[in-house]
Amino acid sequence: MTFAGRHVLSISDFARADILHVLASAGRLEREPRPDLLAGRLMATLFFEPSTRTRLSFEAAMHKLGGRVIGFSDVGSTSTKKGESLADTLRMVEQYADVIVIRHPRDGAARLASEVSRVPIINGGDGANQHPTQTFLDLYTIAKLFPRLVDGGEPLTIAFAGDLRYGRTVHSLLVALCHFGVRVLTVAPRGLEMPDTYLNHAFTAGIDVEPVPSLQEAVRRSDVLYMTRLQEERFPDPLEFGHIKASYRINAAMLAGAPAHLRILHPLPRVNEIAIDVDRTEHAHYFAQAGNGIVVRQALLGLVLGKM
Amino acid sequence: MKERDGSGAHKVRQVEAIASGTVIDHIPAAMTLKVVNLLAEVEDQVFVGINLRSSRVGRKGVVKIAGRELPERTVSSLALIAPQATISIIRDYEVIAKYQVPMPDVFADIARCDNPNCVTNHERWPTRMEVVLRDPLTVRCTYCERTFAANELSLI
Ligand SMILES: [Zn+2]
Repeated sequence: MTFAGRHVLSISDFARADILHVLASAGRLEREPRPDLLAGRLMATLFFEPSTRTRLSFEAAMHKLGGRVIGFSDVGSTSTKKGESLADTLRMVEQYADVIVIRHPRDGAARLASEVSRVPIINGGDGANQHPTQTFLDLYTIAKLFPRLVDGGEPLTIAFAGDLRYGRTVHSLLVALCHFGVRVLTVAPRGLEMPDTYLNHAFTAGIDVEPVPSLQEAVRRSDVLYMTRLQEERFPDPLEFGHIKASYRINAAMLAGAPAHLRILHPLPRVNEIAIDVDRTEHAHYFAQAGNGIVVRQALLGLVLGKM
Repeated sequence: MKERDGSGAHKVRQVEAIASGTVIDHIPAAMTLKVVNLLAEVEDQVFVGINLRSSRVGRKGVVKIAGRELPERTVSSLALIAPQATISIIRDYEVIAKYQVPMPDVFADIARCDNPNCVTNHERWPTRMEVVLRDPLTVRCTYCERTFAANELSLI
């Protein structure tokens, strides 16, 4: 399987075998670090909107492979403010970068970039659309915790909780999980349920998606609980928001009846949907999850640059 | 066969006959003016009928463009707004060719993406809509990956 020169734009572009190849490559790099793999290579990070955590993760990944990094994360300092088109910015940067990571507020910006650029584009998040490296790291995390995700066996039960309507991470992860025969539970406030498009996608893939009434029930029945933020601006009534926020907050006491193997994931940053006292439980896995982002991004960089 | 409306030779013609040119029939009534905008050139002589009765599509529209035979390639964009439409090429009041609107796999730069945050609404870049379902016609924007009912989209 060759990944050399390939763009990483949307999880929908990756078949099951592609995903397995990325996960296996990340696993290899985790066991055997390759500090010189990308020596002499240059990664450009074009962050048209700030995202410190994503940018740091990509930069750390490149440095750990011996490559170099240039980029910007402040649109005010670039010529975009002067009206330069995204395509022209790409045509300039591709002259000297070997791989380009782009983060952009508009949906589809990374795909547009890929149609201009001769060097691989990695999407670091395009508006509300896609953030594929997050999806790969989520999958890597789940597969590392529960190898039967990819090896087969009793299907995993994965619960998604919080804002399932606007949360792009849960949409992409659900699409990816459709390759792996899981059971899905959803817990969402009225109006923020998983959109029909994704439910239909899961249905077509033969994946069971079951809405459950409470976080407690999801905790009791899941292997993985994937939490997301609730954003106040989605609720017209602040009182309603306060009330709903309380019922989508998990704390250590609620985990008393949880199965021992339950692991809680979160794309971070959390606000208060996961109480601090959960951090000390064996169920907390969100910081380890974020840490997995480095090795997964290393694998993607190594693959698209044809070095793995 | 004489150029006539689908309603039969005995009925009164609902739109002026043309000696030569192209007749686009069985357009959903509400889409008729969009079809004119899409296909007619500034200099064209165009006859339009809206809200005519049709047994096939309920209330329909008919557009006749005199003096110009539109090739199949030109009318393929019609599939987005009037997938049921039929095209007749007229010469000397005779229908010399009649075909259905061909359904392309992709509509390139024909409709605007309805997602206000789509990059194609913020950069000068052609839109691209992939057909995901033929009936009802549903398309997916290549860029923002959203799906839309074709009749919701506005034309470029
Ligand atoms: Zn779009």
